[in-house]
Amino acid sequence: MAPESKVPALEVHDLTVAFDRKPVLWNIDLTIPQGKIVGIVGPNGAGKSTLIKAVMGILSLSSGYTRLFDQSINDVRHRISYVPQRESVDWDFPASVMDVVLMGRYSKIGLFKRPRKADRDAALDCLKKVGMEAFANRQISQLSGGQQQRTFLARALAQHADIYFMDEPFAGVDAATEKTIINLLRDMTNAGKTVIVVHHDLQSVKNYFDWVIMLNTRLVASGPTEETFTQENLHETYGGKLTLLADVADLIRRENYPQREKKL
Amino acid sequence: MNSLVEFFSFSDPNIRYVVLGSVLLTASSAIVGTFTFLNKRSLIGDAIAHAVLPGICLGFIVAGTKNPLVLIIGAFITGWLSLVVVEYVTRKTRIKEDTAIGLVLSVFFGIGILMLTVIQKSGNASQSGLDHFLFGKAAALVGSDLYAFLIVASILLVVVYIMFKEFALLAFDKAYAKSIGYPVRTLELILTSLIVLAVVIGIQAVGVVLMAAILITPAAAARFWTDKIVVMVFLASAFGAFSGLSGAYISFVAPAMPTGPWIVIVISTIAFISFFLAPKRGVISRLIRQRNIHQTINNENVLKVMYQLGEENKNFFIPRHLDEIIRRRKYEKPTLHTILRRLLTYGYVEQTGSLWSLSEEGKNKAQRVVKIHRLWELYLTTYMKIAPDHVHEDAETIEHLLTPELEAELEKQLGYAKLDPHHTQIPYSN
Repeated sequence: MAPESKVPALEVHDLTVAFDRKPVLWNIDLTIPQGKIVGIVGPNGAGKSTLIKAVMGILSLSSGYTRLFDQSINDVRHRISYVPQRESVDWDFPASVMDVVLMGRYSKIGLFKRPRKADRDAALDCLKKVGMEAFANRQISQLSGGQQQRTFLARALAQHADIYFMDEPFAGVDAATEKTIINLLRDMTNAGKTVIVVHHDLQSVKNYFDWVIMLNTRLVASGPTEETFTQENLHETYGGKLTLLADVADLIRRENYPQREKKL
Repeated sequence: MNSLVEFFSFSDPNIRYVVLGSVLLTASSAIVGTFTFLNKRSLIGDAIAHAVLPGICLGFIVAGTKNPLVLIIGAFITGWLSLVVVEYVTRKTRIKEDTAIGLVLSVFFGIGILMLTVIQKSGNASQSGLDHFLFGKAAALVGSDLYAFLIVASILLVVVYIMFKEFALLAFDKAYAKSIGYPVRTLELILTSLIVLAVVIGIQAVGVVLMAAILITPAAAARFWTDKIVVMVFLASAFGAFSGLSGAYISFVAPAMPTGPWIVIVISTIAFISFFLAPKRGVISRLIRQRNIHQTINNENVLKVMYQLGEENKNFFIPRHLDEIIRRRKYEKPTLHTILRRLLTYGYVEQTGSLWSLSEEGKNKAQRVVKIHRLWELYLTTYMKIAPDHVHEDAETIEHLLTPELEAELEKQLGYAKLDPHHTQIPYSN
């Protein structure tokens, strides 16, 4: 392996994120090696989506910093790819499957330029990988849930990135799509890519992921699945509600307190 | 007829100004409005329209005359300011955006009306006509207005042309746009500026109150006709241009008729027609589709009953009386008669006197429905572990719905089973 791959894919230092001043993630510290399929698990409201959005700079951080391949996010944008939650967009938008997958080429095409023929070829190629080439001209409002997810996946693939962030790609998809997706993810990690997946279904964690991040507004554990995905950690993640922490968060919001004191 | 020729020859410069002005601003507002519509921020246009009034008054106070450029700059400033305030209020307080828009709209408009009244009472002779901004007066457009319109409309068109891909992505998936490092804030800023510009020129024709209509209505109407964003933008601008032209023509033929309100009436009519008549998305086409589904279900149910009766007699082609069918499945006699007559025109049944029998094709069609019904019951009991006495109702709907592909898949998955959960034979076609 090239020495480059010794560099961690993702490093998170003392990351805190707040919505409307209410902290939803507290002091997260973690490191993810390259070439792994990583699952982020935790109960509803644990901050799973928030974590990946914060890492990608979609949300602003209250404190801490993140590094990807030991560089700051803005220097490696072309190496990251994002699959948002399926419900986060309006599927009644006037666009075809091809239009959506072409978006995956936008960072390569650059601002204010039109997609070229080569971009269409690349998009079609990615549609083939997810078994959707027959749907290229289909209106996106006519897709089933699984097909929508495959379309998003094809868009992410079209970016040819090195690290992929996926928000619940398995939510509400049929068994065939789930299988297609997991096989694709395995191919990707075999090729040295890193895939970080927000995941809901605890049953499949051991089968799907090499590495697991267990989250409940704070980091419970992060490490290889074998050692980390234990009864004890599960209990800590899903069991006792951190009522005191939640109460303090609410208090900060109500009283309009700054998340961090300003440094002089 | 004469007026039509006179109007469309555009020989009168006044007609030229009014027509060109109206078309320019309706078409360009419609293009920008399409993105407002797709961003689901239709109300924003209304807020800006009301908020430009104090800016126009300020511009007049500064310039002392109705210099269009100064007025536009003034309008642009307060239009923008209103948006900044809406965003600030939404972000910093717990007031939601719709409330913030309502507040900002009325506060800015109130200040505008106040200033307008003061100016009107000031005795400055050149102020007359300033109140056109309230209700619009396209018929009063003159050459210098037109130049300002032309410039603004070209800016709108060029910017939208260049940034089409970016605006579309922003409307569809903003988080993704951020993730690939697009300058989302800047792009939003540009789009908002375009809306403000469109509003600033638009209100001179239709006025503050009706501005939101020419911004949003063309896009809303166009959405009914197409699923392609490019087509949608062109359609919206065509609808806008047509309404501008018609508004100008109507007020030319009947001088008592105001242009602006007529523009809005025409565009609303187009939207109304689209709402009802558009293929696929229109209300009427939806109703027709529902009626067709309803008819198919009725047709297939009657055929099914006749088939089941045939199964009992081991002969599918015995002519039957209506009562025999009704004993199996409740129908009003006239309804059943209508359905049978329809089936007759399709060739699925034959009539001899008051007796009805299945045709060969009718039998095949019924057989398929019965087969799918029983296969689905079997599927539910084997794969979903649902009790056999619960599966009938589900199968009743599925039997009319399944596509041939799904039908084949179902047959394959169940291994062409011979009996359904109630131990009845499943009939295959060969």
